[in-house]
Amino acid sequence: MPSLQIDSVVKSYESFTAIKGVSFTAEPGEFVVMVGPSGCGKSTLLRSIAGLETITSGAIRIDGRDITHAEPSDRGVAMVFQNYALYPHMTVAENIGFALKMAGRPKTEIAAAVAKAAKILRIEEHLHKTPKQLSGGQKQRVAIGRAITRAPDVFLFDEPLSNLDAALRSQMRVELGRLHAELKATMVYVTHDQTEAMTMATRIVVMNAGRIEQVGAPLDLYNRPRNRFVAGFLGSPRMNFIKGRVVAAGGMGVTVQAEGLPMPIQLEIEPDADLPTIGDAVTLGLRAEMFGQGAPGEIAIPARVAVVEGLGRETLLYADAGDLKTFDSESQDGYLAAHRASQVMLRPGDPLTLSIDPAAFYLFDANDRTLRFPAVSA
Amino acid sequence: MTSRYRLVSIGLHLVMTVWTLFVLAPLCLMFVAAFKSQADIFTRPLGLPKTLTFAAFERAWGIGIGGFLFNSLVVTALSVTLIVVVSALAAYVLARASSRRMQALYLLIVAGFAVPVQSVLVPLYQFVSAAGLLNSQIAIVIPYAAYGIPFTTMLFYAFFLEFPRELEEAARLDGCSRFQVFWRIVLPLSGPVVASAAIFQAVFNWNEFILALMLLTETRVRTLPVGIYGLIGQYSADWPALMAGLAIATLPLLVVFVAAQRHFVRSMSGLGK
Repeated sequence: MPSLQIDSVVKSYESFTAIKGVSFTAEPGEFVVMVGPSGCGKSTLLRSIAGLETITSGAIRIDGRDITHAEPSDRGVAMVFQNYALYPHMTVAENIGFALKMAGRPKTEIAAAVAKAAKILRIEEHLHKTPKQLSGGQKQRVAIGRAITRAPDVFLFDEPLSNLDAALRSQMRVELGRLHAELKATMVYVTHDQTEAMTMATRIVVMNAGRIEQVGAPLDLYNRPRNRFVAGFLGSPRMNFIKGRVVAAGGMGVTVQAEGLPMPIQLEIEPDADLPTIGDAVTLGLRAEMFGQGAPGEIAIPARVAVVEGLGRETLLYADAGDLKTFDSESQDGYLAAHRASQVMLRPGDPLTLSIDPAAFYLFDANDRTLRFPAVSA
Repeated sequence: MTSRYRLVSIGLHLVMTVWTLFVLAPLCLMFVAAFKSQADIFTRPLGLPKTLTFAAFERAWGIGIGGFLFNSLVVTALSVTLIVVVSALAAYVLARASSRRMQALYLLIVAGFAVPVQSVLVPLYQFVSAAGLLNSQIAIVIPYAAYGIPFTTMLFYAFFLEFPRELEEAARLDGCSRFQVFWRIVLPLSGPVVASAAIFQAVFNWNEFILALMLLTETRVRTLPVGIYGLIGQYSADWPALMAGLAIATLPLLVVFVAAQRHFVRSMSGLGK
């Protein structure tokens, strides 16, 4: 399977630059997921790879072959669209075999390719139907089948599961994973859903405002985010961010006074990070699952339950901890998000003690670069 | 709330019933008069015919209605085909173009819709005459197309703007050229708007009178409206034959309307969407 190289790609519209010099390489057989908030340029980049957008500068190569200015059908890519993009006036079989028909292949070859794709996707019994007779999941399988028959060098997926309900989405995630393992194809997948990114990717490309924030394996990105954006974007609920200020610095560590914490905390920083100076504004980060169990050395914070989200096997608590607030939160109320790996019998208004191990904190400098990763997840 | 809704509903139905009778009454009178004698039409205008006779139809047919019908069919079919093909292609290009020049071009086409036919009768006659096309079917097909294209382009333009781009993009990835995208994907899925445009223009061209009167002076090339007009003499008119001729002219349209009523209503109310 070929590789895909994106080299310094810029895409500008009249007064707006959607992609600002993006470079990365999808290695042969990799499942690369591009993830980021709406408008970050991930879909534009995917469409540029497909040839549906003309890039302003840079180059796109497949196995070293420059396809920057090639026609979409000559690039060796196949794309699965968010809204399936099945031709309503053709049957499922005609949809799947359309690219081969356009390429002038013999009918027997088309029929064999359609049958093979249908078998892989388990849609043999639907081949004679039209798209409107299919469910959302079946339509998406047909769309994938259409891509498979082209035997492309690179598969492109543009948020293909976003129109499906939660149960079907989960099922399709598994099926796409199986398909990737079976075809061993190079795949680039765009989504804004971090669950899809974390569960399916061999590597994740996190994009923001037309730039790549970080590229890496899912757990690497989760555990060792390069900056506060990546730390906040990956993980649900969102990481708690607490404002703080450096009160002492020296050697390999700093002492930070966080707003709302009763005492300053000492934190070691990464060897390659720039040591902040006294008075610098910093941000402490704490993932919801990193609250402690009340062990010695942990800081006990009295709080009150604001919202309880019982998910069955686990519970998410949103707690009002007085002056200790998270900023940039999902709720915008400053509640700290805490995860419990079990069912808890708490209700809004109930008192709660949050226990924080200082070693569990991430630390970000004033420019949101990560200064420290918690030891437990390193 | 329910009784108020019912009152409004009854009121609307009443209005629509009166309007329907208002529209259908002349049509019914036309068909009935076609079976009456000349005297009956004036002495008992609303009465039924005393005897069922097809004499008026025979007289109407005798002046060459069959030929007029054929001419109308040819002229309508050619002009509608030309209008639909040119408008669809133009509208597709305009709907997919982002340049300001193309937008200006679209505005010019729309502006062409506002030019009244009466204002160009004399220069149009001079053009057609100078081209040696008078009394030929092409002489009437081209002006019909010219007058039909702006409106039909607007109709198609609105439809194509909302046509799902992903289908076209998928087709491009599947190896279609721009024209193949239009021909294999867009056009087959444009049935409603093509039908709307075709029906609307067919009705308009079938009934068109002024241009046909001016450009088709020889009997052999006349279309139905002008041919039937020949039944009106300088001092008198054969009203039963005239009504019979009009009934013959109306029948094909009625058949088309009944067969494609759904598309016709959509073309009038929703600009083909």
